[in-house]
Amino acid sequence: MWKVTVKGILTHKLRLALTGLAIVLGVTFISGTLVLTDTLHNTFTSLFGNVYQHVDFQVRSKAAFTSNSAGGGAVRTPVPESVAGTVRAVPGVAYAEGSVSGYAQFVAPDGKAISTGGAPTLGVSFDPNPELSSLRVVAGHAPGSTHEIAMDEGTATKYHFHVGERVAVLLTGRPQTFTLSGIVRFGSAENLAGATLAVFDLPTAQSVLGKVGQYDAIDVLATPGADKAAVERAIARALPPGTEVVTGQTVAQEQSNSINQGLSFFSTALLVFAFISLFVGGFTIFNTFSITVGQRTRELALLRIVGASRRQVFRSVLLEAAVLGVVASIVGLGLGVLAAIGLEALLKGFGITLPAGPLVFLPRTVVVALVVGIGVTVVSAISPARRAVAIPPVAALSDQHEEQGESSRRRIAVGGVIAAVGVAALVVGLSEQAIALVGIGAVAIFLGIGMLAPVVARPMASVLGRPLALFGISGRLGRENSMRSPRRTAQTSAALMVGLALVSTIAVFGASLSKSATSSVDEAISADYIITASASGTGGFSQSVAPAAAVKGAAAVSTVYGGEFEFDDVVSNLTAVSTEHLADTVILRVEQGSGAPALAAGDLLIDTTTAATKHLSVGSSVAVTFAKTGSSTMKVGGIFKPNALIGSYLVSDAYFLSHFDDPLPVAVLVRSAPGATGVGAALDRGLRSYPNLQVQTRAQFEQSQQAQVNQLLGLVYALLALAVVIALIGIVNTLMLSVFERTHEIGLLRAVGMRRRQVRAMIRSEAVILALFGAIIGVVIGTGLGVAFADSLQQQGITDLVIPVASLVVFLVLSGLLGLGAASWPARRAARLDVLAAISAE
Amino acid sequence: MALDETVAPAPVALAAARAVGLEKTYGKGDSAVHALAGITVEFGRGEFTAVMGPSGSGKSTLMHCMAGLDTPSAGATFVGDQEVSRLDEAGLTRLRRDRIGFVFQSFNLVPTLTARENILLPVDLAGAKVDEDWFDFLVGQLGIGDRLSHRPTEMSGGQQQRVACARALIRRPDLVFADEPTGNLDSNAAGEMLGFLRHSARELGQSIVMVTHDPRGAAYAGRVVFLADGTIVGDMSDPTAESVLEQMKQLGT
Repeated sequence: MWKVTVKGILTHKLRLALTGLAIVLGVTFISGTLVLTDTLHNTFTSLFGNVYQHVDFQVRSKAAFTSNSAGGGAVRTPVPESVAGTVRAVPGVAYAEGSVSGYAQFVAPDGKAISTGGAPTLGVSFDPNPELSSLRVVAGHAPGSTHEIAMDEGTATKYHFHVGERVAVLLTGRPQTFTLSGIVRFGSAENLAGATLAVFDLPTAQSVLGKVGQYDAIDVLATPGADKAAVERAIARALPPGTEVVTGQTVAQEQSNSINQGLSFFSTALLVFAFISLFVGGFTIFNTFSITVGQRTRELALLRIVGASRRQVFRSVLLEAAVLGVVASIVGLGLGVLAAIGLEALLKGFGITLPAGPLVFLPRTVVVALVVGIGVTVVSAISPARRAVAIPPVAALSDQHEEQGESSRRRIAVGGVIAAVGVAALVVGLSEQAIALVGIGAVAIFLGIGMLAPVVARPMASVLGRPLALFGISGRLGRENSMRSPRRTAQTSAALMVGLALVSTIAVFGASLSKSATSSVDEAISADYIITASASGTGGFSQSVAPAAAVKGAAAVSTVYGGEFEFDDVVSNLTAVSTEHLADTVILRVEQGSGAPALAAGDLLIDTTTAATKHLSVGSSVAVTFAKTGSSTMKVGGIFKPNALIGSYLVSDAYFLSHFDDPLPVAVLVRSAPGATGVGAALDRGLRSYPNLQVQTRAQFEQSQQAQVNQLLGLVYALLALAVVIALIGIVNTLMLSVFERTHEIGLLRAVGMRRRQVRAMIRSEAVILALFGAIIGVVIGTGLGVAFADSLQQQGITDLVIPVASLVVFLVLSGLLGLGAASWPARRAARLDVLAAISAE
Repeated sequence: MALDETVAPAPVALAAARAVGLEKTYGKGDSAVHALAGITVEFGRGEFTAVMGPSGSGKSTLMHCMAGLDTPSAGATFVGDQEVSRLDEAGLTRLRRDRIGFVFQSFNLVPTLTARENILLPVDLAGAKVDEDWFDFLVGQLGIGDRLSHRPTEMSGGQQQRVACARALIRRPDLVFADEPTGNLDSNAAGEMLGFLRHSARELGQSIVMVTHDPRGAAYAGRVVFLADGTIVGDMSDPTAESVLEQMKQLGT
């Protein structure tokens, strides 16, 4: 039996190669993601290990809570300078020096603010002790006065800065200009994972980063030969309450963990798309094996006649799948390594300069790639293998082996149940916010619909093919061919169905998100101009912006702050808006209690959703924790309708400023005076020294919000494109098999005078019908899923439900065209069939 | 409908098809097989000719070469005045579509099309207009009027072959090639089929070349050409089953 299987595989190399391609692509995606993230993980771990290898201890304040943001570490408040003196006095301490960090953003020679595309723009202090400093000066000298600054090598190289030049820097206070004294590296890297570094001497850093008299942390060196554990204990005893001492290793660990957490978010996202591709690939495998088992009915029956057992036939089919899975997975693994290198280059293209490090290829990657690749292939082949087993030996003697109707009734029943279970899982998952359940539900829906699709395949193919049939005999034959085996038509288009369903889900979801973003701006902001940082990742901008924005014609200017606090033991986002001009710039619909007066009184305002879920009302007392001021209770002063700008929790600006260290505005809202003109131009002039800012009208702000959503959508579409490509490979494969199967028929058509062009048109018509069939079902399912997703996130700000009909129609048209493209090879092959050989083929 | 309106009298001088010094060799050197070893033959207009011979005699190869399905190694074939071997791919397709009709032993019809659609396939492929009168006439002659909306799987073998016959004749081709058309039929259906072919030749002036190995089938033809080992070994007019059988015996097959 082994020999028969191997011979079969060797005879159908091309077919198997096409089928395997689906798996190869999926495995490439998975292994590429794993290799890349492992490499990054390893690089950062060793980078931080190196940087902190000489630091014995670090003294800092105790963590208030852990930040919610991806890769965000513990939220801490600075310690007073005096703590450094306390530490120096501890016996066994050779050296102790404070350090600070905060917001500082370079301005490029062309006057534009240098942004990073996500990574922070950091200002840090330089520790002159080479053993303690994580920074190495590679050109010039370290900053030594209030006029000097050093820059990371990555930024210096990219923007062609040279030592001795003047550099403008945006800070929490007014922008300042410094002389570039030197270029530094972070450990061995050009910069820190894409962040820009502005380096000052310690007193300058304290002053420009808004930390006068304070340190974020104090690095400590023990006297050589001292008992480090004893020194650590001694420091701990000497420290004031609220501060702690940890080893340098712990700090290195924490920092690399925090970056790796961000990475794992990234890798999870990529892996999700990799698994989507493999899922779609599974459909393709299933379909191919179903068709080939059908085509080999006689051969398999003959094997049964000469004595092969059912089990042997079953194993033979699975063995073929396993061999295919092994080969495809190994190829995918190899390509995955190449993909990782490519992705790394891509990240570099986005300005994320990564420290140099060897490519990390863990055994885990091999295991995952092989298990998943082979697993998907074999599992997909089980059902076709069972069908092979059901072939009676007598089929070898009869001309045709008809599929039994009974099994199709059973399939409908099973498919219906699976789809229903999927819908139930999805509904529960969405309402309970259980992502895993949602995923399982979606998979079950796809499987169920895939089983049900053959029922509608015939009528739908008939309708879809009608316009094609008008074009003549080729279209008519293509239509007939697509109606010939509803099961095959449905199975072939199933992969495309899944791809299109996901694309449509994203389209509906994205359109709703985009619309919600727009309308929520209208419902949240009454200001005429919105000033925000033009690049993401900067965290905020200078507090000196708001005064600068009070230009002539501006009736009201208010500053919006954002930060994290602990509410009822859950880390949440808190917003503050200048109380004075609240009503002029923000639309706050207070349902209970009061708005501005409550804020002025230092109370907390919450939205109706939070009030409902946490059972709070006006006057309720709630436990809150701030990093700077610790735990306390606040009174709920009012309950407002959900507001996209504010979020769930609102306090006054005064309250916010007194409870946060180094608070950075995230937006400044400007309302122009009635009849005032030229306010926008005045704002542009007034804020000329802040190139990191953009002044937008409300309409422009809405547009940029939409653009952000669309950018994200574009990325998701790009990742889903692979699944669609795999689905198309499935169509190519099926058409090739169909052409092979109908060799005789095509030969007959050619013999009675069908031209090659007509043969090609016939195959193409069939492909278009197949593609449209899958696409239509997919778009319908996807629209349903998108509506369900958007609806379930109503509380999270997706208030509008939009079905982007135009986009969906474009998807359908594109699918048809892609189907046409997928047909080109099979069509050429069919047209090139040798007529004589074809009609004599049996 | 009068027959003389639809079928132009054939000029006797010009054959419907002919082969001149036709050779077909498969393989090379020692292993070369001469399927056709220099055949020169003419098939007259309005004539029903049977080509007979044992397996491997080259009768199918002869037909394939004459119909432009296969290319000869040497020599030339003509359909009417058209030299087949000079045609390119597109020309061959047009030749098959417009001037030749085919009836095969089996798998004659496109399974997804109804009988009517199968019959009109060459017309549709050419994008030509259907001659409904001719269609009705053929369908009537073949007695398949009540089967037109059926698909091949819903018809008997004999009915399928009659549909194939109608398809072969629908374009009024210069020549119909029938390759063992009765090979898969019972004797009743075979008799009707052959009767129709003879009738087409005699009454409608349709030129037909039929490859067969059945002496009784050959007896329906007006002429029998005997092939063996790639050459013509006999030529008989007005055959009967007995005379054909006799000739076969003499040829030692």
